[in-house]
Amino acid sequence: MTGSLLVAAMNFHTLLFYLFASLACGFAVGVVVADNVVRMALYLVLSLGATAGLFFLAGAEFIGAMQLMIYVGGTLVLLVFGVMLTAQAPFVSIKTSASDRVLAGVVAASLLALLLQAAFSVEAWRRPGLGEVAPPAATPIGTALVGVRVDDPPPGTPPGVRSGYLLPFEIVSVHLLVVLVGAAYLARAKRRRTPRAIEVAASVAPPVDERRRAGGSASALTAGGVR
Amino acid sequence: MNPVALGTIVPLMAVADGVSVSHYLVVGAILFTAGIVCMAVKRNALGVLMGIELVLNGANVNFVAFASPYLRGQGATSLGIDGQVIALFVILLAAAEAAVALAITLAFYNNHATVDVDRADDLKG
Amino acid sequence: MDLSAQLPLLLGLAWLAPLVSFVAILFFGPKMGPHGRNAAWVATAAIVTSLVLSLLAAGNWLAAHPVEVSHHAAGDHGGPHTVGPVAYAGDWYTLYRGGDLRLSIGWYIDALTVLMFVVVTFIATCIHVYASGYMHDELHDVTDHEVHLSGGGHLHRPGRFPRFFQALSLFCFSMLGIVIAGNLAMVFIFWELVGICSWFLIGFYYERKSASTAANKAFIVNRVGDFGMLIGLMALWGALGTLQFADSTVPGADGAATVRPGLFSLVRPATNGHAIQVPDGMVKFAAAAELAKTPAGDVAGKIDTWRSMGFGRWLLFIAGLGIFCGCVGKSAQFPLFVWLPDAMEGPTPVSALVHSATMVAAGVYLVGRFYPVLTPDVLLVIAYVGAITLFIAATIALVANDIKRVLAYSTVSQLGYMMLALGVGGWSAGLFHLVTHAFFKSLLFLCSGSVIHACHTNDMRKMGGLARVMPWTAGTMLVGCLAIIGAGIPFVAGLSGYYSKDAILAQALSFSRANPAHSILFLAVAGGAFLTAFYMFRLWFMTFAGEPRDHHVAEHAHESPTVMVAPLVALTVLAVAAGWTLPGGFSLPNLLEQARPAGTAEGMAGGFAFGSLVFPAEHESHEGAVHVTATLTAFSTALAGVLLAALMYLWRIVSPAVVATIFKPAYAFLAGRWYFDELYHALFVVPVLGVAQLASGTDRGVIDRIIDGLAWAARQLAGIDAWIDRTIVDGLVNATARATWSAGLELKKLQTGHLRQYVMFIVVGTVALFVLASLLFRTTMAG
Repeated sequence: MTGSLLVAAMNFHTLLFYLFASLACGFAVGVVVADNVVRMALYLVLSLGATAGLFFLAGAEFIGAMQLMIYVGGTLVLLVFGVMLTAQAPFVSIKTSASDRVLAGVVAASLLALLLQAAFSVEAWRRPGLGEVAPPAATPIGTALVGVRVDDPPPGTPPGVRSGYLLPFEIVSVHLLVVLVGAAYLARAKRRRTPRAIEVAASVAPPVDERRRAGGSASALTAGGVR
Repeated sequence: MNPVALGTIVPLMAVADGVSVSHYLVVGAILFTAGIVCMAVKRNALGVLMGIELVLNGANVNFVAFASPYLRGQGATSLGIDGQVIALFVILLAAAEAAVALAITLAFYNNHATVDVDRADDLKG
Repeated sequence: MDLSAQLPLLLGLAWLAPLVSFVAILFFGPKMGPHGRNAAWVATAAIVTSLVLSLLAAGNWLAAHPVEVSHHAAGDHGGPHTVGPVAYAGDWYTLYRGGDLRLSIGWYIDALTVLMFVVVTFIATCIHVYASGYMHDELHDVTDHEVHLSGGGHLHRPGRFPRFFQALSLFCFSMLGIVIAGNLAMVFIFWELVGICSWFLIGFYYERKSASTAANKAFIVNRVGDFGMLIGLMALWGALGTLQFADSTVPGADGAATVRPGLFSLVRPATNGHAIQVPDGMVKFAAAAELAKTPAGDVAGKIDTWRSMGFGRWLLFIAGLGIFCGCVGKSAQFPLFVWLPDAMEGPTPVSALVHSATMVAAGVYLVGRFYPVLTPDVLLVIAYVGAITLFIAATIALVANDIKRVLAYSTVSQLGYMMLALGVGGWSAGLFHLVTHAFFKSLLFLCSGSVIHACHTNDMRKMGGLARVMPWTAGTMLVGCLAIIGAGIPFVAGLSGYYSKDAILAQALSFSRANPAHSILFLAVAGGAFLTAFYMFRLWFMTFAGEPRDHHVAEHAHESPTVMVAPLVALTVLAVAAGWTLPGGFSLPNLLEQARPAGTAEGMAGGFAFGSLVFPAEHESHEGAVHVTATLTAFSTALAGVLLAALMYLWRIVSPAVVATIFKPAYAFLAGRWYFDELYHALFVVPVLGVAQLASGTDRGVIDRIIDGLAWAARQLAGIDAWIDRTIVDGLVNATARATWSAGLELKKLQTGHLRQYVMFIVVGTVALFVLASLLFRTTMAG
């Protein structure tokens, strides 16, 4: 009975895994393949969302939640902002040359092969998962971040005192502060005597619907004077 | 490609026996590779940033796989909480880095009226 | 204060007074009056002080030691002089004392010293006064017509009036130093000093090549003589350990005063009756081999044996001969006389003082002072040297046309006379002639200076008939000429030269009679008297008598100013009267007798090198047939000479030109001065110059070439090093730099600035690393 439930659970689990995995990989490939940067952004969001699902399936529900909140809800939104800010006709879809793409593909394939080989190289990783359920990870993670370890060490880990993550927590906090200040400074609007290039460009080449609708990279390219 | 690996992926997928760490690692590999390709191919700076996010994400998947109690095989060890914390930090740092990168991109865009990375070769030797 | 302290004080001050003048003029000369005019007064004042002090000393001497009438005048030969002459000796300052040797500044004062002081200071005074007028040209800028500059024209220089008197003062100081010297070392010091002064004075017009050459010649020829003198000094010091003339008392080690014998006592000891003998020191020195074999106690007894065997006589001979060599140089004897005629390049006062009366007389004076140590052999050598000199110089003077040259050769000849006189045993005669010669020769030179001053030429062929315009000069010069030929009324009276020449002739005759083998010495004297008379009156007639030969000269001739004529008169008086015996018995010969060295009054016999010689006693020559023959010979030869000169130059009966043509080879030989200068040039100057050329050639050709070669080699090496440094070392460094640069340039191309390319590189690199790692470390990646 338990075995069959387990099998059912396992199967359900496996099914969901394959679903999310294919979504993640597919949309990731979609990011690669897409020309339009806005579409790329969408595919990325979806891919990362699927990844969050994968996290949930792996038992790291806190991390999955954080993925959705911080990564998808914060970082990618930021990215989308960036896309929107710079999504002018000439830049929305810029194509690279075919040779570059082929070369990149070849290299990526070799890298993928390497990684896959590595993934299957250790016998212990190939054994199917036992399906143990751990207590929710939020509390242990939270207390660990304050320096107290309340979780049970997984079996097989060597004995000894395990440290908390207070220091890295503080470091990251400061890091984020610095990043905040730095990013604000980097992207500040400077007072200029001469109009900014973007303003010049904006005044020179207003976006035209026909051009955008054409979507042809060549015309866009020539209009933008790129390459 | 390792014939041994090929020999194991197919049965895994066919039998749908149980998901192991390796499955997650494959996903991570694909995400990673996709991210690399994005970085190498995309001329739009934001596309490159997206590639970076994908890479980091692929790494996160790996970490979570190693840390997962579900996926731990017979006689294998898992990272436990440590792996999850690492993944958390990666997310945080990815956010920070994305913010800075975006700031750089916007600054570049403001000065050069373009986000084409091929035009950002002022640092060429 | 008794005489032994008084005399050194007076004569010492007289000696030092010219030194004070020298120092004063040295430092303040140009500031003494306009152009240094008063330097003459300073010098004259100093020498007058010396003269006064000398006269005081002479007066004190005569008061203490009255000159008695000579012994032999009373026909009393007396006994042999067993006591030495009256002499005072002592030391002022000891320069160096090492072992036995003491070098000191000291005095030896006897009648001869006092006499010489008076003579030297008197003549020097006359000449200082004369020179203050004669040298007036030097009071303003001088144009020297005898110096031709390379760019044409004559030398224009400022006058050097003070310097002349500075040198004259130093000379007087040095000459008096020789006279007062108490030991041979001091003599040598002042000997050299006198030589230097002579060099200064001859080369007074040093811009003239002839003058500077003549000065060098004088000094160098003198140094040749001094070399012999040093040998003599060394022989004496080495064998006897002392150079003092007289005995000295020194405090001994035990406090008691010991008497250290001087040279005179060593060579003529009282124990031997003051007869000359080889001293003990020389015997021991020569018999060193025997001495080594003899135990110390027996030495004293054996010395006489060795002496009689003849040990040490050559050493004594060498000692005497060595000292005489110095005199040969200083007194211009054969063969070192060649410097004296050239010394006439100096101003005439210099010729008068230095080269006629005093410096050249220093040699004769030293022979006279050193007489006790001279053995018969040495004396014979001296006599012959004197005879040869006498003859050569007289013959050259026969044909000389420069008035000062005639007088110079005459001086040489007269010095030969003196040496001959001393050599044949006439100690008193020789020194007497020294004194009289000093007077009349300096007179003759000053007169010639007067003539030169008036005619602005030395050439007698341009003179003539000057007696009319220069009566004082002509008169005084006539007196001088008469004095030098020994003019006088035989057996009655005569000028100063009459007496001294007479004495010499008499002693020479006496010697010839005693040593018939050496009769030629008397013939030389007699012949010399004839020649002397001839050339002196030839000089006088050519200059003063007859018609002027050059009207230009005759027009400008004038008598000299009083300041120049007064000394002439003063000297004339002495040239006339120096030989007379004053009532009371004072005469120069009598004064000299007081200084006669012990043991020389009765003559000598001896000699080993040239056979046995007899030196008759001097007083024997003053009486008897010898004296008569000598006087008549002197008179007749002088008269003959004067007559011949008158024939040729006054009455013009015999023409000198015709005679010269008849005897052309002889005339040429004499006119060429016996070609001594050419001989010495070929014998000595040319080889020395050859050696110098060789040395310089070696230095330049060999040594310099070696050095230059080494330098060249070093430079080549340096060049190679430089090339290596530049090409190889620098090349290496530069090549490294270039390689680095080009590598950098190539590698720079990797930095394309394209982001995507960088990503590709990262990925490719990662993949490659992994593959490599998996290949190398199969164990870790084992599937």
